[in-house]
Amino acid sequence: MSLFDSLIAGLSLVASFEAFFALFAGICIGVVGGAIPGLSATMAVALTLPFTFSLQPITGILLLLGVYKGGIFGGSIPAILIKTPGTPASSATILDGFPLAEKGEAGRALGMALWASCTADLISNLALILFAGWLASFALSFGPPEFFALILFSLTIIAGVSGESLLRGALSAMLGLLLATVGLDLVYGTNRFTFGDPNMMGGLNFIAVLIGLFAIPEIIAMAWNPTAHLGKARALGKTKVTFADYKRSFKSIVRGSLIGVFLGSIPGIGAAPSAFLSYSEARRKSPNKENFGKGEIEGVAASEAGNNGVAGATLIPLLALGVPGDVITAIIIGAFMIHGLQPGPMMFVLNVDIIYGLFIGLIVSSVFLFIVGSVAIKGFKFVADVPKRILMPAVLVLCIYGVFAVNNNIFDVGVMFVMGWVGYVMMRHHVPAAPFLIAFILGPLLEDNFRQAMLMSGSDPMILLRGPITWFFWALTVITIVAIIRGIARKAPAT
Amino acid sequence: MSPQVIQTRLGIGACIAAAFLIFVGIPGWVSSPSNVQNIVLAPTFWPYVLSAMTGLIGLGLILAGRRTGGAASDEEVVETDGLGWPRLVALALIMALTMYALPRLGMVWTTMLVFAATAFLFRTRHRVTALICAVLIPLALYAFFAHVAGVGIPQGNFVRLP
Repeated sequence: MSLFDSLIAGLSLVASFEAFFALFAGICIGVVGGAIPGLSATMAVALTLPFTFSLQPITGILLLLGVYKGGIFGGSIPAILIKTPGTPASSATILDGFPLAEKGEAGRALGMALWASCTADLISNLALILFAGWLASFALSFGPPEFFALILFSLTIIAGVSGESLLRGALSAMLGLLLATVGLDLVYGTNRFTFGDPNMMGGLNFIAVLIGLFAIPEIIAMAWNPTAHLGKARALGKTKVTFADYKRSFKSIVRGSLIGVFLGSIPGIGAAPSAFLSYSEARRKSPNKENFGKGEIEGVAASEAGNNGVAGATLIPLLALGVPGDVITAIIIGAFMIHGLQPGPMMFVLNVDIIYGLFIGLIVSSVFLFIVGSVAIKGFKFVADVPKRILMPAVLVLCIYGVFAVNNNIFDVGVMFVMGWVGYVMMRHHVPAAPFLIAFILGPLLEDNFRQAMLMSGSDPMILLRGPITWFFWALTVITIVAIIRGIARKAPAT
Repeated sequence: MSPQVIQTRLGIGACIAAAFLIFVGIPGWVSSPSNVQNIVLAPTFWPYVLSAMTGLIGLGLILAGRRTGGAASDEEVVETDGLGWPRLVALALIMALTMYALPRLGMVWTTMLVFAATAFLFRTRHRVTALICAVLIPLALYAFFAHVAGVGIPQGNFVRLP
């Protein structure tokens, strides 16, 4: 199928009111979810997931992508107004956004955040369209040993999402890998940790584990301290962003977007490092570098471009290789699976209409983000006023319905509750939940490809090094591990 | 809790979990056919490898804990009124009762009670709003999942909804 044919196929799939409405609604949900501190873009995507079950695959996935994009921008609103990033990716936005808000220029900072976000989003989407297909065509030649090496490399994502302690991140990942072994054995069909319960023979439900890990701990934390969230929102002020501001910051926005695209396409780096790198580069190159940290509009532009540049690019490994680029794309993989789609190179052959439909939807999403973002900036006061002690019971009820709806099974609700307490204990002990989830998703793939490779070779481990592709991924894995160890060694004398 | 205590506790917990899995859990709860020719293909191989790695990470955490300073973490979870633990127990009880009530009362009625109970547990200042939401939100979700998404929401043994 030619590029033109693929585009037409995608357009025929996506050119419907439902698809564009889902995208628009997703962006609205995402902006609101990202703007409520403590709810986060990740939780917004997780809570929206059950609503996609009854939708067409393209509509459901566009809804989630809308939530993702809206959530990343929405996180900047509380970062600027109340110095609380709605998502970790918005942490860098605080550096100049909050000082601007203190000067009474919150409206200007939010406006620049929106313009920079939309520009970066567009650049990131174009990068996805250009590179994902090329990478997927290359990945078509992969067999089990190549996929094993790729997934092993992808597990180094965990270093990027481990936060303050790599060992705690690794422990979280091991727990995720162990939990993924529950169910019938992939080769022999024997029971593994099922305790004879038929509910556990298919393994634990992904959505129940996911919502349990990300949404329920926030509710439990509210029981521990119901008043922890209380804060004050700030007025927007009368100053607005001008085209001159945008023009002055344009270089930083494009640079930040490209940094975001590059870092986003590598699984595991995530939006927060990209935002900080973009910010530090903008500061290094700016003639007003002494103003950075004191309320420089270019600083807001650079950090927002850095974190939004990642949003489209994280879909490159997801669509081309079937490997999630970050936690949110790990959740979105679940949506693909629920609709019977397996992201990866074969999707570019079997479901090319969906791929191009997504590309078209993503381009439109930048325009929708601009419209929704402009309204959201003015309406944030109402969003912030939603009483958290009403919101959290609503989230709990939504979780119960959503998790039950996956398999019509009350057992899954129990799994969600148990995972919620596991997630809360992890939270109290500063063990990050993201490595757990990523390992839980990648674990079965890793084991499956390993055992398939062993079956192919008659248990000769040399098959795992059978050609240049496996050598490439092994080399990347070794380089990443060495870099991680060097990073730890450098940090050790400093602490 | 200081970082040292956290690391050490996690490390000890990981080592105990690994030992339990290796000596009790995997031999007892993972079935492996007797005719498996190669150890790497056995259903028990992967769980053993992961358990061993969990144990190693646990040891690493204990060692790291010994090297970490004992100063208290400034990110300590603060509880304001001394009622944190009773509220946690109450929430656990609400969750356990939810599992019991879901097949008997039905999802809509159970979630109405869950909403009201948690809102009052969180000491909401908007009691009337909480009660209105406790009725409307489960009903709205029921309408969506049962009539739009076609999910068979449990109706329970008492009052059935259309």
